[in-house]
Amino acid sequence: MTPALRIHQLGKTYRVGFFMRRVEGLKALDLEVQAGEAFGFIGPNGAGKTTTIKILMGLHAATTGTAEIFGVPVTEAQSRARVGFLPERPYFYEHLSAREVLHFYGQLFEMDPELRNPRVEMLLERVKLEHFADVTLAKYSKGMLQRVGLCQALLHDPDLIVLDEPMSGLDPVGRALVRDLILEQREAGKTVFFSSHILSDVEAICDRVAILVDGELRESGKLADVIADRESLEAVLVGEMTKAVDEDRLGVL
Amino acid sequence: MRRLWALAHNTFREAVRDRVLYSILFFAIGVIVLSLALQEITVGDRDKVVRSVALGSIAAFGSIISMFLGISLVWKEVERKTVYTILSKPISRWMFVLGKYLGMMMTLVVQVAVMVLVYTLLLTAQQTFPPLVVYVSALMLVAELMLLTSWATLFSTYSAPTTAAAFTLAVFLIGHLADDIWLYGSALENPGAQQIAKVLYWVLPNFELFNIRSHAVHELPIPWDQVVGSLAYGTCYTAAVLGLAMVVFERRDLK
Repeated sequence: MTPALRIHQLGKTYRVGFFMRRVEGLKALDLEVQAGEAFGFIGPNGAGKTTTIKILMGLHAATTGTAEIFGVPVTEAQSRARVGFLPERPYFYEHLSAREVLHFYGQLFEMDPELRNPRVEMLLERVKLEHFADVTLAKYSKGMLQRVGLCQALLHDPDLIVLDEPMSGLDPVGRALVRDLILEQREAGKTVFFSSHILSDVEAICDRVAILVDGELRESGKLADVIADRESLEAVLVGEMTKAVDEDRLGVL
Repeated sequence: MRRLWALAHNTFREAVRDRVLYSILFFAIGVIVLSLALQEITVGDRDKVVRSVALGSIAAFGSIISMFLGISLVWKEVERKTVYTILSKPISRWMFVLGKYLGMMMTLVVQVAVMVLVYTLLLTAQQTFPPLVVYVSALMLVAELMLLTSWATLFSTYSAPTTAAAFTLAVFLIGHLADDIWLYGSALENPGAQQIAKVLYWVLPNFELFNIRSHAVHELPIPWDQVVGSLAYGTCYTAAVLGLAMVVFERRDLK
Protein backbone atom coordinates (compact mmCIF):
# COMPACT_ATOMS: atom_id res chain seq x y z
CA MET A 1 0.00 0.00 0.00
CA THR A 2 1.26 3.51 -0.82
CA PRO A 3 2.28 5.31 2.37
CA ALA A 4 0.46 8.51 3.24
CA LEU A 5 3.82 10.28 3.51
CA ARG A 6 7.18 9.27 2.18
CA ILE A 7 10.14 11.54 2.91
CA HIS A 8 13.54 10.62 1.51
CA GLN A 9 16.81 12.40 2.33
CA LEU A 10 14.93 15.68 2.67
CA GLY A 11 17.16 18.66 3.38
CA LYS A 12 16.76 22.42 3.56
CA THR A 13 19.57 24.94 3.66
CA TYR A 14 18.89 28.61 4.29
CA ARG A 15 21.15 31.54 3.51
CA VAL A 16 21.15 34.09 6.31
CA GLY A 17 22.78 37.41 7.08
CA PHE A 18 24.78 39.83 4.99
CA PHE A 19 27.38 37.21 4.04
CA MET A 20 24.68 34.67 3.17
CA ARG A 21 25.90 32.16 5.75
CA ARG A 22 24.55 28.64 5.17
CA VAL A 23 22.30 27.26 7.89
CA GLU A 24 20.99 23.72 7.64
CA GLY A 25 17.37 23.72 8.76
CA LEU A 26 16.83 20.10 7.89
CA LYS A 27 19.39 17.34 7.37
CA ALA A 28 18.66 14.31 5.16
CA LEU A 29 15.36 13.40 6.81
CA ASP A 30 13.96 9.92 6.07
CA LEU A 31 10.45 9.18 7.25
CA GLU A 32 7.42 7.13 6.27
CA VAL A 33 3.92 7.52 7.65
CA GLN A 34 1.48 4.76 6.81
CA ALA A 35 -2.15 5.43 5.94
CA GLY A 36 -4.40 5.34 9.01
CA GLU A 37 -1.64 6.20 11.48
CA ALA A 38 -1.59 9.04 13.99
CA PHE A 39 1.98 10.27 13.82
CA GLY A 40 3.55 12.73 16.25
CA PHE A 41 6.42 14.90 15.02
CA ILE A 42 8.17 16.34 18.04
CA GLY A 43 11.22 18.38 18.84
CA PRO A 44 12.34 21.64 20.46
CA ASN A 45 11.93 25.06 18.81
CA GLY A 46 14.05 25.37 15.69
CA ALA A 47 14.31 21.59 15.27
CA GLY A 48 12.99 21.71 11.69
CA LYS A 49 9.40 20.51 12.27
CA THR A 50 7.73 23.50 10.67
CA THR A 51 10.30 23.52 7.86
CA THR A 52 9.41 19.90 7.06
CA ILE A 53 5.70 20.67 7.13
CA LYS A 54 6.19 23.75 4.93
CA ILE A 55 8.04 21.64 2.35
CA LEU A 56 5.23 19.07 2.43
CA MET A 57 2.65 21.82 1.92
CA GLY A 58 4.51 23.44 -0.99
CA LEU A 59 5.37 26.60 0.94
CA HIS A 60 9.13 25.94 0.87
CA ALA A 61 11.26 24.18 -1.72
CA ALA A 62 13.55 21.42 -0.47
CA THR A 63 17.27 21.87 -1.12
CA THR A 64 17.83 18.10 -1.35
CA GLY A 65 15.76 14.94 -1.31
CA THR A 66 12.17 14.17 -2.15
CA ALA A 67 8.80 13.93 -0.45
CA GLU A 68 5.56 12.34 -1.59
CA ILE A 69 1.99 12.43 -0.36
CA PHE A 70 0.08 9.28 -1.32
CA GLY A 71 2.72 8.71 -4.01
CA VAL A 72 2.47 12.19 -5.57
CA PRO A 73 5.58 14.43 -5.30
CA VAL A 74 4.96 17.47 -3.10
CA THR A 75 6.26 19.71 -5.87
CA GLU A 76 2.94 19.07 -7.64
CA ALA A 77 -0.08 21.02 -6.37
CA GLN A 78 -2.24 17.94 -6.88
CA SER A 79 -0.38 16.18 -4.04
CA ARG A 80 -2.40 18.35 -1.66
CA ALA A 81 -5.83 17.33 -3.01
CA ARG A 82 -6.29 14.75 -0.23
CA VAL A 83 -4.66 16.82 2.52
CA GLY A 84 -6.14 19.07 5.18
CA PHE A 85 -3.60 21.45 6.72
CA LEU A 86 -3.78 23.57 9.85
CA PRO A 87 -0.80 25.94 10.11
CA GLU A 88 0.60 27.09 13.43
CA ARG A 89 -1.39 30.26 14.22
CA PRO A 90 -3.72 30.23 11.21
CA TYR A 91 -4.41 33.55 9.51
CA PHE A 92 -7.50 34.18 7.46
CA TYR A 93 -9.09 36.95 5.44
CA GLU A 94 -10.44 39.24 8.10
CA HIS A 95 -13.06 40.74 5.82
CA LEU A 96 -14.83 37.38 5.57
CA SER A 97 -17.06 35.61 8.06
CA ALA A 98 -16.35 32.02 9.14
CA ARG A 99 -19.09 30.76 6.84
CA GLU A 100 -17.79 32.77 3.88
CA VAL A 101 -14.19 31.69 4.39
CA LEU A 102 -15.17 28.02 4.58
CA HIS A 103 -17.19 28.29 1.39
CA PHE A 104 -14.22 29.97 -0.28
CA TYR A 105 -11.89 27.14 0.76
CA GLY A 106 -14.50 24.61 -0.37
CA GLN A 107 -14.46 26.24 -3.81
CA LEU A 108 -10.68 25.85 -3.90
CA PHE A 109 -11.26 22.11 -3.50
CA GLU A 110 -13.91 22.31 -6.25
CA MET A 111 -16.56 21.01 -3.85
CA ASP A 112 -20.07 21.24 -5.29
CA PRO A 113 -22.52 23.42 -3.31
CA GLU A 114 -24.73 20.38 -2.53
CA LEU A 115 -21.79 18.78 -0.76
CA ARG A 116 -20.23 21.99 0.57
CA ASN A 117 -23.27 23.56 2.26
CA PRO A 118 -24.10 20.74 4.69
CA ARG A 119 -20.40 20.09 5.36
CA VAL A 120 -19.74 23.74 6.30
CA GLU A 121 -22.77 23.82 8.62
CA MET A 122 -21.86 20.50 10.23
CA LEU A 123 -18.29 21.61 10.95
CA LEU A 124 -19.33 25.02 12.32
CA GLU A 125 -21.67 23.24 14.67
CA ARG A 126 -19.03 20.66 15.61
CA VAL A 127 -16.59 23.38 16.74
CA LYS A 128 -19.40 25.39 18.35
CA LEU A 129 -19.15 28.41 16.06
CA GLU A 130 -22.61 28.21 14.52
CA HIS A 131 -23.78 31.32 16.41
CA PHE A 132 -20.78 33.35 15.20
CA ALA A 133 -20.74 32.02 11.65
CA ASP A 134 -21.68 35.38 10.09
CA VAL A 135 -19.37 37.53 12.20
CA THR A 136 -16.26 38.73 10.35
CA LEU A 137 -13.06 36.97 11.39
CA ALA A 138 -11.49 40.29 12.41
CA LYS A 139 -13.61 40.02 15.56
CA TYR A 140 -12.60 36.45 16.43
CA SER A 141 -10.36 35.46 19.35
CA LYS A 142 -7.28 33.30 18.80
CA GLY A 143 -9.07 30.18 20.00
CA MET A 144 -11.99 30.81 17.67
CA LEU A 145 -9.61 31.28 14.72
CA GLN A 146 -7.96 27.99 15.58
CA ARG A 147 -11.37 26.33 15.42
CA VAL A 148 -12.02 27.90 12.01
CA GLY A 149 -8.60 26.56 11.04
CA LEU A 150 -9.64 23.06 12.02
CA CYS A 151 -12.87 23.40 10.04
CA GLN A 152 -11.00 24.38 6.87
CA ALA A 153 -8.56 21.51 7.38
CA LEU A 154 -11.39 18.97 7.64
CA LEU A 155 -13.70 20.59 5.09
CA HIS A 156 -13.19 18.20 2.17
CA ASP A 157 -12.94 15.10 4.40
CA PRO A 158 -9.22 14.63 3.66
CA ASP A 159 -7.36 11.33 3.98
CA LEU A 160 -4.30 13.00 5.51
CA ILE A 161 -4.53 15.73 8.13
CA VAL A 162 -1.38 17.76 8.80
CA LEU A 163 -1.44 19.90 11.92
CA ASP A 164 1.37 22.22 12.95
CA GLU A 165 1.18 22.86 16.71
CA PRO A 166 -2.62 22.58 16.79
CA MET A 167 -2.85 23.07 20.57
CA SER A 168 -0.53 26.05 20.72
CA GLY A 169 -1.99 28.92 22.76
CA LEU A 170 -5.35 27.26 23.36
CA ASP A 171 -7.18 27.19 26.68
CA PRO A 172 -7.97 23.77 28.22
CA VAL A 173 -11.44 23.68 26.64
CA GLY A 174 -10.00 24.47 23.21
CA ARG A 175 -7.29 21.84 23.66
CA ALA A 176 -9.83 19.20 24.61
CA LEU A 177 -11.92 20.07 21.54
CA VAL A 178 -8.92 19.80 19.22
CA ARG A 179 -7.80 16.55 20.85
CA ASP A 180 -11.28 15.05 20.45
CA LEU A 181 -11.40 16.08 16.80
CA ILE A 182 -8.01 14.48 16.13
CA LEU A 183 -9.08 11.28 17.88
CA GLU A 184 -12.32 11.23 15.86
CA GLN A 185 -10.30 11.48 12.66
CA ARG A 186 -7.97 8.71 13.74
CA GLU A 187 -10.92 6.47 14.56
CA ALA A 188 -12.42 7.24 11.16
CA GLY A 189 -9.26 5.72 9.63
CA LYS A 190 -7.66 9.01 8.57
CA THR A 191 -3.94 9.62 8.73
CA VAL A 192 -2.97 12.34 11.20
CA PHE A 193 0.49 13.91 11.11
CA PHE A 194 1.07 16.58 13.69
CA SER A 195 3.80 18.47 15.43
CA SER A 196 3.38 19.52 19.02
CA HIS A 197 5.18 20.78 22.06
CA ILE A 198 2.54 19.36 24.35
CA LEU A 199 3.92 15.88 24.82
CA SER A 200 1.04 14.60 26.95
CA ASP A 201 -1.23 15.15 23.95
CA VAL A 202 1.19 13.34 21.67
CA GLU A 203 1.26 10.39 24.08
CA ALA A 204 -2.54 10.34 24.23
CA ILE A 205 -3.08 10.50 20.49
CA CYS A 206 -0.18 9.00 18.55
CA ASP A 207 0.65 5.50 17.39
CA ARG A 208 4.14 6.43 16.27
CA VAL A 209 6.45 9.39 16.84
CA ALA A 210 9.59 10.91 15.37
CA ILE A 211 11.97 13.12 17.33
CA LEU A 212 13.78 15.86 15.49
CA VAL A 213 16.64 17.87 17.03
CA ASP A 214 18.70 20.45 15.13
CA GLY A 215 17.21 19.37 11.83
CA GLU A 216 18.22 15.75 12.38
CA LEU A 217 16.02 12.75 12.99
CA ARG A 218 17.09 11.32 16.37
CA GLU A 219 14.49 8.63 16.97
CA SER A 220 11.47 7.23 15.20
CA GLY A 221 9.12 4.35 15.88
CA LYS A 222 6.16 3.13 17.90
CA LEU A 223 5.49 5.27 20.92
CA ALA A 224 6.14 2.41 23.38
CA ASP A 225 9.40 1.45 21.63
CA VAL A 226 10.66 5.05 21.62
CA ILE A 227 9.89 5.53 25.32
CA ALA A 228 11.21 2.01 26.12
CA ASP A 229 12.52 1.95 29.69
CA ARG A 230 12.51 5.70 30.14
CA GLU A 231 10.01 7.60 32.24
CA SER A 232 8.09 9.45 29.53
CA LEU A 233 8.30 10.98 26.09
CA GLU A 234 9.52 14.17 27.71
CA ALA A 235 12.48 12.29 29.21
CA VAL A 236 13.32 10.90 25.76
CA LEU A 237 13.16 14.36 24.17
CA VAL A 238 15.27 15.99 26.87
CA GLY A 239 17.79 13.14 26.58
CA GLU A 240 18.08 13.62 22.81
CA MET A 241 18.50 17.38 23.19
CA THR A 242 21.27 16.88 25.76
CA LYS A 243 22.98 14.37 23.46
CA ALA A 244 22.81 16.87 20.58
CA VAL A 245 24.45 19.57 22.72
CA ASP A 246 27.21 17.15 23.81
CA GLU A 247 27.85 16.13 20.19
CA ASP A 248 28.10 19.79 19.21
CA ARG A 249 30.67 20.39 21.95
CA LEU A 250 32.70 17.36 20.83
CA GLY A 251 32.56 18.69 17.29
CA VAL A 252 33.97 22.03 18.43
CA LEU A 253 36.78 20.33 20.36
CA MET B 1 -11.31 27.14 -13.80
CA ARG B 2 -13.57 27.12 -10.72
CA ARG B 3 -10.52 27.53 -8.50
CA LEU B 4 -9.30 30.46 -10.54
CA TRP B 5 -12.74 32.06 -10.32
CA ALA B 6 -12.84 31.50 -6.52
CA LEU B 7 -9.47 33.24 -6.12
CA ALA B 8 -10.48 36.13 -8.39
CA HIS B 9 -13.86 36.54 -6.74
CA ASN B 10 -12.32 36.59 -3.26
CA THR B 11 -9.81 39.27 -4.33
CA PHE B 12 -12.64 41.33 -5.80
CA ARG B 13 -14.72 40.90 -2.64
CA GLU B 14 -11.79 41.97 -0.46
CA ALA B 15 -11.28 45.10 -2.57
CA VAL B 16 -14.92 46.16 -2.58
CA ARG B 17 -15.05 45.81 1.21
CA ASP B 18 -12.08 48.16 1.56
CA ARG B 19 -13.22 51.61 2.72
CA VAL B 20 -10.10 53.33 1.35
CA LEU B 21 -11.13 52.32 -2.15
CA TYR B 22 -14.49 54.03 -1.70
CA SER B 23 -12.76 57.19 -0.52
CA ILE B 24 -10.66 57.28 -3.70
CA LEU B 25 -13.73 56.58 -5.85
CA PHE B 26 -15.82 59.29 -4.20
CA PHE B 27 -12.96 61.74 -4.59
CA ALA B 28 -12.67 60.81 -8.28
CA ILE B 29 -16.41 61.34 -8.79
CA GLY B 30 -16.10 64.67 -6.97
CA VAL B 31 -13.36 65.82 -9.36
CA ILE B 32 -15.38 64.67 -12.40
CA VAL B 33 -18.39 66.66 -11.19
CA LEU B 34 -16.13 69.61 -10.35
CA SER B 35 -15.11 69.82 -14.02
CA LEU B 36 -18.48 71.53 -14.52
CA ALA B 37 -17.28 74.44 -12.44
CA LEU B 38 -14.20 74.84 -14.64
CA GLN B 39 -16.23 75.78 -17.68
CA GLU B 40 -17.39 78.89 -15.86
CA ILE B 41 -13.85 80.22 -15.81
CA THR B 42 -12.94 79.03 -19.31
CA VAL B 43 -12.58 81.16 -22.41
CA GLY B 44 -13.36 79.34 -25.69
CA ASP B 45 -14.81 75.87 -26.08
CA ARG B 46 -16.29 75.28 -22.63
CA ASP B 47 -17.72 71.83 -23.44
CA LYS B 48 -14.32 70.49 -24.37
CA VAL B 49 -12.90 71.58 -21.02
CA VAL B 50 -15.50 69.52 -19.18
CA ARG B 51 -14.80 66.49 -21.39
CA SER B 52 -11.03 66.89 -21.08
CA VAL B 53 -10.91 67.31 -17.29
CA ALA B 54 -13.43 64.55 -16.63
CA LEU B 55 -11.70 62.01 -18.91
CA GLY B 56 -8.30 62.98 -17.50
CA SER B 57 -9.65 62.43 -13.97
CA ILE B 58 -10.94 58.97 -14.85
CA ALA B 59 -7.49 58.02 -16.20
CA ALA B 60 -5.63 59.52 -13.24
CA PHE B 61 -7.81 57.93 -10.57
CA GLY B 62 -7.90 54.62 -12.44
CA SER B 63 -4.09 54.59 -12.33
CA ILE B 64 -4.04 55.56 -8.64
CA ILE B 65 -6.44 52.73 -7.73
CA SER B 66 -4.45 50.29 -9.86
CA MET B 67 -1.18 51.19 -8.12
CA PHE B 68 -2.76 51.40 -4.67
CA LEU B 69 -4.24 47.91 -4.86
CA GLY B 70 -1.62 46.28 -7.07
CA ILE B 71 1.48 47.03 -5.02
CA SER B 72 0.33 44.89 -2.09
CA LEU B 73 -1.64 42.32 -4.05
CA VAL B 74 0.63 39.30 -3.40
CA TRP B 75 2.86 40.77 -0.68
CA LYS B 76 -0.04 41.25 1.72
CA GLU B 77 -1.01 37.59 1.40
CA VAL B 78 2.53 36.49 2.28
CA GLU B 79 2.94 39.00 5.12
CA ARG B 80 -0.44 38.18 6.68
CA LYS B 81 0.20 34.48 6.05
CA THR B 82 -3.22 34.02 4.48
CA VAL B 83 -1.33 32.40 1.62
CA TYR B 84 -0.59 29.36 3.85
CA THR B 85 -4.15 28.12 3.84
CA ILE B 86 -4.44 28.67 0.09
CA LEU B 87 -1.24 27.18 -1.29
CA SER B 88 -1.62 24.17 1.01
CA LYS B 89 -4.63 23.28 -1.12
CA PRO B 90 -4.29 21.98 -4.68
CA ILE B 91 -3.57 25.49 -5.96
CA SER B 92 -0.46 26.12 -8.06
CA ARG B 93 1.44 29.30 -7.45
CA TRP B 94 0.87 30.49 -11.02
CA MET B 95 -2.86 30.02 -10.47
CA PHE B 96 -2.70 32.02 -7.25
CA VAL B 97 -0.95 34.95 -8.97
CA LEU B 98 -3.33 34.81 -11.94
CA GLY B 99 -6.40 34.57 -9.69
CA LYS B 100 -5.28 37.57 -7.64
CA TYR B 101 -4.56 39.53 -10.81
CA LEU B 102 -7.93 38.73 -12.38
CA GLY B 103 -9.74 39.74 -9.18
CA MET B 104 -7.84 43.00 -9.22
CA MET B 105 -8.81 43.60 -12.86
CA MET B 106 -12.48 42.90 -12.03
CA THR B 107 -12.22 45.61 -9.37
CA LEU B 108 -10.63 48.07 -11.79
CA VAL B 109 -13.18 47.41 -14.53
CA VAL B 110 -16.01 48.11 -12.06
CA GLN B 111 -14.27 51.28 -10.83
CA VAL B 112 -13.74 52.62 -14.37
CA ALA B 113 -17.31 51.66 -15.29
CA VAL B 114 -18.70 53.63 -12.32
CA MET B 115 -16.60 56.69 -13.25
CA VAL B 116 -17.64 56.44 -16.93
CA LEU B 117 -21.28 56.13 -15.85
CA VAL B 118 -20.98 59.33 -13.81
CA TYR B 119 -19.31 61.00 -16.81
CA THR B 120 -22.13 59.83 -19.13
CA LEU B 121 -24.83 61.11 -16.79
CA LEU B 122 -23.00 64.40 -16.38
CA LEU B 123 -22.51 64.98 -20.09
CA THR B 124 -25.99 63.80 -21.04
CA ALA B 125 -27.47 66.26 -18.56
CA GLN B 126 -25.21 69.12 -19.54
CA GLN B 127 -24.42 68.57 -23.26
CA THR B 128 -25.43 65.44 -25.24
CA PHE B 129 -24.98 61.70 -24.90
CA PRO B 130 -21.23 61.07 -25.41
CA PRO B 131 -20.14 59.53 -28.73
CA LEU B 132 -18.73 55.98 -29.05
CA VAL B 133 -15.13 57.25 -29.08
CA VAL B 134 -15.47 58.07 -25.36
CA TYR B 135 -16.25 54.44 -24.53
CA VAL B 136 -13.46 53.15 -26.77
CA SER B 137 -11.16 55.55 -24.93
CA ALA B 138 -12.35 54.00 -21.63
CA LEU B 139 -11.63 50.54 -23.03
CA MET B 140 -8.12 51.67 -23.90
CA LEU B 141 -7.72 52.96 -20.36
CA VAL B 142 -8.68 49.52 -19.04
CA ALA B 143 -5.99 48.02 -21.31
CA GLU B 144 -3.46 50.50 -19.93
CA LEU B 145 -4.46 49.62 -16.37
CA MET B 146 -4.20 45.93 -17.25
CA LEU B 147 -0.55 46.48 -18.15
CA LEU B 148 0.19 48.79 -15.21
CA THR B 149 -1.40 46.31 -12.78
CA SER B 150 0.70 43.46 -14.17
CA TRP B 151 3.84 45.48 -13.30
CA ALA B 152 2.50 46.22 -9.81
CA THR B 153 1.71 42.51 -9.39
CA LEU B 154 5.25 41.58 -10.47
CA PHE B 155 6.79 43.95 -7.92
CA SER B 156 4.42 42.78 -5.19
CA THR B 157 5.60 39.17 -5.59
CA TYR B 158 8.98 39.99 -4.11
CA SER B 159 9.07 43.45 -2.55
CA ALA B 160 7.31 45.35 0.21
CA PRO B 161 4.53 47.80 -0.77
CA THR B 162 6.69 50.93 -0.39
CA THR B 163 9.40 49.58 -2.71
CA ALA B 164 6.77 48.18 -5.07
CA ALA B 165 5.04 51.58 -5.09
CA ALA B 166 8.31 53.33 -6.04
CA PHE B 167 9.00 50.81 -8.83
CA THR B 168 5.44 50.91 -10.17
CA LEU B 169 5.38 54.71 -10.14
CA ALA B 170 8.71 54.72 -12.02
CA VAL B 171 7.29 52.34 -14.64
CA PHE B 172 4.15 54.48 -14.88
CA LEU B 173 6.13 57.70 -15.45
CA ILE B 174 8.67 56.16 -17.83
CA GLY B 175 5.83 54.45 -19.71
CA HIS B 176 4.24 57.83 -20.35
CA LEU B 177 7.54 59.27 -21.54
CA ALA B 178 8.47 56.35 -23.79
CA ASP B 179 8.06 58.39 -26.98
CA ASP B 180 10.48 60.98 -25.58
CA ILE B 181 13.06 58.26 -24.97
CA TRP B 182 12.86 57.43 -28.67
CA LEU B 183 13.02 61.08 -29.75
CA TYR B 184 15.93 62.05 -27.50
CA GLY B 185 17.71 58.79 -28.29
CA SER B 186 17.52 59.46 -32.03
CA ALA B 187 18.98 62.93 -31.50
CA LEU B 188 22.04 61.57 -29.68
CA GLU B 189 25.33 61.56 -31.56
CA ASN B 190 26.89 58.56 -29.83
CA PRO B 191 25.71 55.39 -31.67
CA GLY B 192 26.07 53.32 -28.47
CA ALA B 193 23.81 55.67 -26.52
CA GLN B 194 21.38 55.63 -29.44
CA GLN B 195 21.22 51.83 -29.27
CA ILE B 196 20.65 51.91 -25.50
CA ALA B 197 17.79 54.38 -25.95
CA LYS B 198 16.24 52.14 -28.62
CA VAL B 199 16.52 49.03 -26.42
CA LEU B 200 14.94 50.93 -23.51
CA TYR B 201 12.12 52.09 -25.77
CA TRP B 202 11.32 48.54 -26.89
CA VAL B 203 11.71 46.94 -23.45
CA LEU B 204 9.81 49.48 -21.34
CA PRO B 205 6.04 49.78 -21.69
CA ASN B 206 4.58 52.58 -23.77
CA PHE B 207 1.41 53.73 -22.05
CA GLU B 208 0.84 56.57 -24.50
CA LEU B 209 -0.18 53.99 -27.12
CA PHE B 210 -3.41 53.58 -25.14
CA ASN B 211 -4.13 57.27 -24.99
CA ILE B 212 -6.87 58.29 -27.40
CA ARG B 213 -8.40 60.78 -25.00
CA SER B 214 -7.75 63.70 -27.37
CA HIS B 215 -9.96 61.91 -29.93
CA ALA B 216 -12.67 61.58 -27.27
CA VAL B 217 -12.37 65.22 -26.17
CA HIS B 218 -12.47 66.58 -29.74
CA GLU B 219 -14.99 63.93 -30.83
CA LEU B 220 -12.78 62.77 -33.69
CA PRO B 221 -13.25 59.46 -35.55
CA ILE B 222 -12.03 56.38 -33.70
CA PRO B 223 -8.43 55.49 -34.74
CA TRP B 224 -9.16 51.77 -35.17
CA ASP B 225 -5.61 50.89 -36.29
CA GLN B 226 -4.20 52.30 -33.07
CA VAL B 227 -6.94 50.69 -30.98
CA VAL B 228 -6.45 47.19 -32.39
CA GLY B 229 -2.64 47.43 -32.38
CA SER B 230 -2.50 48.78 -28.83
CA LEU B 231 -4.89 46.17 -27.48
CA ALA B 232 -2.78 43.40 -29.03
CA TYR B 233 0.40 45.04 -27.66
CA GLY B 234 -1.15 45.43 -24.20
CA THR B 235 -2.35 41.81 -24.09
CA CYS B 236 1.02 40.35 -25.14
CA TYR B 237 3.04 42.64 -22.86
CA THR B 238 0.74 41.93 -19.89
CA ALA B 239 1.01 38.18 -20.47
CA ALA B 240 4.82 38.47 -20.49
CA VAL B 241 4.97 40.52 -17.26
CA LEU B 242 2.47 38.26 -15.51
CA GLY B 243 4.47 35.22 -16.65
CA LEU B 244 7.55 36.76 -15.06
CA ALA B 245 5.58 37.45 -11.85
CA MET B 246 4.57 33.77 -11.74
CA VAL B 247 8.17 32.62 -12.21
CA VAL B 248 9.40 34.96 -9.44
CA PHE B 249 6.66 33.84 -7.04
CA GLU B 250 7.24 30.17 -7.89
CA ARG B 251 10.81 30.43 -6.59
CA ARG B 252 9.97 32.15 -3.31
CA ASP B 253 10.14 30.39 0.05
CA LEU B 254 7.19 31.67 2.05
CA LYS B 255 8.42 32.56 5.53
